[in-house]
Amino acid sequence: MNCIQRLIKRQPKTLRILAASGQLGYGIPENSFNAGLQRKPDFIGCDMGSIDPGPYYLGAGVMATSDAMTRRDLRLVIRAAREHDIPLIIGTAGTAGASAHLDATIEMVRSIALEEKLSFKLAVIRADIEANTVINALEAGRLKPLGGHLDVTAQDIAQCTHIVAQMGCEPFVAAFENDPDIIIAGRACDTAIFAALPKVIGFDMANVMHMAKIIECTSICCEPGGRDAMLATIDETGFVLESMNPDRSATPLSVAAHSLYEQSDPLTFTEPDGSLDVSHATYTAVDDRRTKVSGATWTPAHKTTIKVEASAPIGFRSVLLCATADPRFIENLRDLLGIVEKTTRGLVAGDYQIFPRLYGLDGISPVSPVEPAYRPREIFILVEVIATSETLGLSVTKTFKQFLLHQGFAGRMSTGGNIAFPFTPPELSTGQAFKFVLYHVMQTDDAAALFPVSIEQM
Amino acid sequence: MNPSKRLFDVAKVIRSKNAGPLVISFDLLFRNEDDFAMAVASPNLTTQALSSALGRPPGDLVVIHYPAAFAIKISMPRLIVSGSPGDGDVYGSQQHTPLLSLTL
Repeated sequence: MNCIQRLIKRQPKTLRILAASGQLGYGIPENSFNAGLQRKPDFIGCDMGSIDPGPYYLGAGVMATSDAMTRRDLRLVIRAAREHDIPLIIGTAGTAGASAHLDATIEMVRSIALEEKLSFKLAVIRADIEANTVINALEAGRLKPLGGHLDVTAQDIAQCTHIVAQMGCEPFVAAFENDPDIIIAGRACDTAIFAALPKVIGFDMANVMHMAKIIECTSICCEPGGRDAMLATIDETGFVLESMNPDRSATPLSVAAHSLYEQSDPLTFTEPDGSLDVSHATYTAVDDRRTKVSGATWTPAHKTTIKVEASAPIGFRSVLLCATADPRFIENLRDLLGIVEKTTRGLVAGDYQIFPRLYGLDGISPVSPVEPAYRPREIFILVEVIATSETLGLSVTKTFKQFLLHQGFAGRMSTGGNIAFPFTPPELSTGQAFKFVLYHVMQTDDAAALFPVSIEQM
Repeated sequence: MNPSKRLFDVAKVIRSKNAGPLVISFDLLFRNEDDFAMAVASPNLTTQALSSALGRPPGDLVVIHYPAAFAIKISMPRLIVSGSPGDGDVYGSQQHTPLLSLTL
């Protein structure tokens, strides 16, 4: 029997859960992770992805984290889990959790197992979903954007490079039955990584989900917040939170405030397995670094809904990076950008969009309601071009650059050039560009079938 | 109560962040119950007042008071989906600035 089944069979009354990372691959702080291991956790959980970094990583099938740091973090948690012979559960592999991300992660795990001479049983849970399944849901009126506006057609869905569904606890529970040591899942709810094992052991689901909701971000719920490993100790009376970095304190206020993070509603959370209501939860200081939580309520879902996510390519992105310090050029900048765009369009034929961003004026806010009262001393100009090909995009940015550099205007003094380049080439191609097509909730009758489990002996 | 107190001086945290790629959410966190109560009572932090500060119709905003954390949560749909062409803030973490100049 391997470590997951041993833990489930043991039926502990108290469970210690070590959250190693909220986003594996950026560098897990090692001291606090090791401090967590000394506390003899019953299992280790790691989140490895998020929708936050935007549509590119899901669409392109690549990780947001670097190869070297991802391997480093994977090695750290795998070695620790095997050394202590405790379960390791990793969710949303490779940033976005589609098969491309999952396969790249598993390949890293294989080479780490080989290099470290480790043998273990790995369960892999896939989260890819066929376009036709989603199109059928759309046509049956069982697909709704989550929280905001995102219109979608069957044709849009068909153009997506990867479509993932976000698994709740059930697929993890199915994987437990295969008696693995380590589970690596595709797109998963952050909570499921930490909730599935306590759920199967039989802890109260309200406490389990509330605990999972907080520790999936490791020490962000602390004062001051950080990325250090977090320990949750759950029993029948609730759960206690403690950061494994002694400089971070989980206070009643900091823990309660964490409910706000990346949520539109701090009081109720909808998960595939049900919904959590924390409006009557209590947060009590155990000491100055630990807080005990209890009192949330849990309502199991009577109809399973899952979130589906997908991105589709929209062309190729190239950017021009330059800046200006000339007051007269700055004064005329908006008009001049319009003139240069017109000139560029007259010279470079093809289908493309140009988005100039003027950092110092309104680079962050898409539409500035009022012109700022004063002109900044310098403005950074980022011209983003989305074109049907990489070569077309670079033709646009290069031509735009040259005409912006030498564009004449009444009262111009800077006839040597209107803009400064921090380096050359100032035109860069960032490759294919994507946009979100799906961020929807889909009703389904058979969620388990969407998340197949496979086993590999390392 | 000083009616001209600036939110920027009273609040501990004024922040924005995506709540998924379709929604932008704002948190106003206060240091203690008194400051939170003052904010909740302020005519300048009603849904109507916030909607004009954020330049969106009141029907787009959801405002939730969260006493356990002395916090006010505001959320609204994004006009441009995170990372779509024309978006300038993929994480939505720099959209809070219109709230900085509010008074309580």
